[in-house]
Amino acid sequence: MKQNILTGVLLAVIALLVALPWFAPYFYIFVFTEILILGLFAVSFNLIFGFTGMLSFGHAAYFGMGAYTTAMLLLHLDWPLLYTLVAAMALSGLLALVIGFFCVRLSEVYFAMLTLAFGMMVFTIAHSWRDVTNGSDGIAGFRISEFGLGLDLVMGNPAVYYHVTLAIVVIAALVLYVISRSSFGLILKAIRQNPERVAFCGLNVRSYRLASFVIAGIFAGLAGALMAPFLRVASPELMHWSLSAEPVLMSILGGTGYFMGPFVGAALFVLLETWITSYTGAWMLFLGIVLALMVMFFRKGVLGTFLDWWMNKND
Amino acid sequence: MSGLGPALLNSLEMGLLLFVIAVGLNIVFGVLNIINFAHGALYMLGAYFGYTLISILGLPFWIALLTAPLGVAIIAVLIDRLMLRFIYDRDIADSLLLTFAIMLIISESVRSIYGSNIQAVYPPAILDGTVSLLGSPYPIYSLFVIAMGLIILAGLWYLFNRTRVGKIMRAAALDRDMAEALCINTRMVVTGVFAFGAWLAGVGGVIAAPMRTIDPGMGEKIIIESFIIVVIGGLGSFPGALIGALILGAIYGFGGRYFPEFNLLLPFLGMALVLLFKPTGIMGKGANA
Amino acid sequence: MKQFNAKNLMVSTVTAATLSLGTGNAMAEEPIRFGAIYILSGSAATYGEFAQRGIDLAVEEINDSGGILQRQVEVLYEDSQGKAATAIQAARKLAYQDNVDALLGLDSSGVAQGMVPTVPELQKPFIITHAATPDVTGNLCNEFTYRISVNVPQNQKAAAMIAAETDAKRWTTIGPDYAFGHQTWEYFGNYLKEMKPEVELMEQTAFPRFGAEDFTPFINGIMDADPEGIIISTWGGDLVNFIRQANNLGFFDQGYEVMFTVGAATEVLDALGDQMPEGVWLSTRYWYDAYDNEANTRFVEAYLDEYGSAPSYNSEGAYAAIYAYKQAMEAAGTTDGPAVAKALSGMTMEAPNGTVTFRPGDHQAMVSPNWGISGPMHPEHGIRTLTDIRVFDPEEVARPVEETGCTL
Repeated sequence: MKQNILTGVLLAVIALLVALPWFAPYFYIFVFTEILILGLFAVSFNLIFGFTGMLSFGHAAYFGMGAYTTAMLLLHLDWPLLYTLVAAMALSGLLALVIGFFCVRLSEVYFAMLTLAFGMMVFTIAHSWRDVTNGSDGIAGFRISEFGLGLDLVMGNPAVYYHVTLAIVVIAALVLYVISRSSFGLILKAIRQNPERVAFCGLNVRSYRLASFVIAGIFAGLAGALMAPFLRVASPELMHWSLSAEPVLMSILGGTGYFMGPFVGAALFVLLETWITSYTGAWMLFLGIVLALMVMFFRKGVLGTFLDWWMNKND
Repeated sequence: MSGLGPALLNSLEMGLLLFVIAVGLNIVFGVLNIINFAHGALYMLGAYFGYTLISILGLPFWIALLTAPLGVAIIAVLIDRLMLRFIYDRDIADSLLLTFAIMLIISESVRSIYGSNIQAVYPPAILDGTVSLLGSPYPIYSLFVIAMGLIILAGLWYLFNRTRVGKIMRAAALDRDMAEALCINTRMVVTGVFAFGAWLAGVGGVIAAPMRTIDPGMGEKIIIESFIIVVIGGLGSFPGALIGALILGAIYGFGGRYFPEFNLLLPFLGMALVLLFKPTGIMGKGANA
Repeated sequence: MKQFNAKNLMVSTVTAATLSLGTGNAMAEEPIRFGAIYILSGSAATYGEFAQRGIDLAVEEINDSGGILQRQVEVLYEDSQGKAATAIQAARKLAYQDNVDALLGLDSSGVAQGMVPTVPELQKPFIITHAATPDVTGNLCNEFTYRISVNVPQNQKAAAMIAAETDAKRWTTIGPDYAFGHQTWEYFGNYLKEMKPEVELMEQTAFPRFGAEDFTPFINGIMDADPEGIIISTWGGDLVNFIRQANNLGFFDQGYEVMFTVGAATEVLDALGDQMPEGVWLSTRYWYDAYDNEANTRFVEAYLDEYGSAPSYNSEGAYAAIYAYKQAMEAAGTTDGPAVAKALSGMTMEAPNGTVTFRPGDHQAMVSPNWGISGPMHPEHGIRTLTDIRVFDPEEVARPVEETGCTL
């Protein structure tokens, strides 16, 4: 019963999101495009953090890889957007495979530190390899000439780009949801709770960790690939550790225990930032206080705290 | 290679300053099992307290060196009692996140109090100027930094190996439950250790103040360097912090001089290499995979 | 208007009253809004503060003297956090949500690089007041984007002209390891080589990472290489660190020709006091003591009066941008975005740094870089003075439009 209500709410939210350009102020098209992209980024991150229990501090490397792939393919080869997205997912996944191969051997804090180190190496390469990446300025000045599949979409129109983003993010989220609900996803959860026991069952913990790391990298790459045309630029800051911190904050804010938690967190994060920076320059201070309170008292996040309360009510 | 001598001294200076800061991070990790993201912010607080005492109130540098770190330690006690105690028993990820939040709060509070201007503190007259060492001019203040680093190194060694307090700290680091069973008030130890780590960060901040500009972003810069050091040396290891700091100092000192085009990449490369071959750091205990 | 009211009066006095009130109010009370995007948090926030000072000063002056097109002026600030993504969203918010009439801002080249391509969508004019990357008035230029501040090629042409006059033959550089540092060296080197083919541009250069704090290894490395001239583009807090450490190492006693491209920034001079050595070449996008004109006298006096310190170049750029908008809006007779953007093209104005023209070909302001030699301390302002001040002819230092890559 309650499950059905939740599904209904979710569908209603998606319907509202589809209709958004027709009723919301124009600026909110941009706000929600950003929420969707960062939401996908955070959900992909939560696949390794919330489900597999590994705190990655270098997730922006794959996000940035996706952004650079799209930006460079659009700039140099003028590919249709859809193809660049596929290429971005492939390259980000490859990068995650290489980095993940080394990182998943380590546990907890060492894993966090090594992902941070690799993330910053990728950042440094993007920042320093001026011939290819245009250094700190990043890749700008590209445009989308077509979407692909023969669809006639005016990608320069923010509302169209918003709808494209919405469609892709919903599909990607569905895929991730299916993965997290599959037996594979259940094993990941088991690894988080008790890796030794999973190993005793004859499963190779390391391979499962690596697989989840790569999947997370692929979808982070997709999010980044959507970000570059939205921002009109791919720059090294998209790979910096401070951007790696964002999906962590969003996941904590929304709740790591539920699939939709990071989406809720991304929405809260972006909306609060948009509103608060209008009134004061102290956004970071506010963020710090909110984050501290969440970690200390509401570790399940906004969505998690609410759902746990609601699910247990009347039961 | 006439510049080898100065490069060596320079590396030593940077390494020892980084040691003073990073060792606090490691001591806290050893006993509390917390990675303190706010450690850099505490270093920055030390520098700002030093700046307040020296440049605003006109007090001598030595008074600031004695009192400013104590101020940082007091703030640390507040942080521990008001915030950290809620997450003692949780995952390491929670401590990273909470201290990350604390870092944001401290940095932005300092910025709103002091403004974001570039501030400078001048070294005391006795440490100002240069001497000729190994054929090149060398700042006296840098020699002072090296001396301070060595004094703190010796002091910490004495503390851990020769005093009761140090033994209690080591006991608490090894097994908190056992320590408690032996009638050690571990709550006091935990708070005390956190404050002590913050005190070290504060000392680092005051020492750094006359040689580096002071701005609210300085904590964020140093924390990543401190992470690199403790990871290279081994998390929670006292000698590891020294080795890690000296390695990073050498990477900066020699790398900046002889491979300037790789100065961005080298620290992270070093960190990744160590973790690949010895995941727990050079002085780390056992495998943790 | 009168006729319109009279006509309505016959139909219904009530409607007429509301109508005339409505239109009248819109004219008299709805202020003109500017959206300003600067770094307002983090370690470079001091630059945003300086810009704010300049803007607030200009707005106060304009509002006291009747506003623009008889309307009052107000400014909305947004924090770019030094990130392109944040700045772009801020610009969209200002344009679509807050309905500002014009935009100005940007401290960082990377941010400018990202944001400029999005400006035409907003249909609002945008004046860059600080970021110096050549591309935004080069291959990324567009009809809505202008820059009132000095860019890298302008300043490096001037620097090369000075360098060519000196006896130094072997030149190298120290600069931050990002686009600004590298571009400075490339433009400086190319211009200098052109003017004086016998100079040697050394292989040994130093690009410490931005925020490096300890520059000693780099300074030692450069001193070992024994150059004759050095162009230094390190800036802000890094520059303060650099100079204090260079002093200790005797860097300034070696007889090098030393040129600091952003060395005369007042925030740096303030922090350094007499630790800034005498006898080195310092430049800035605007030096408050370099211009003898009415606009500058008024600006410097008002600034000293209000804030008690010598004005920073970033304050001047932001201040002048507001006046540029005033003039363009009055010329266009409207605040309509495309019309104001069009009015800016080719417009000439009297700014504190002299007569400034926005070149139609690339929208770069023809402004004059200033260089001078650091002299004795200023008795009141607590910073070094500049002597032998050189104010360069804008036409002489600007890239020809054909070379910018801009096709407007």
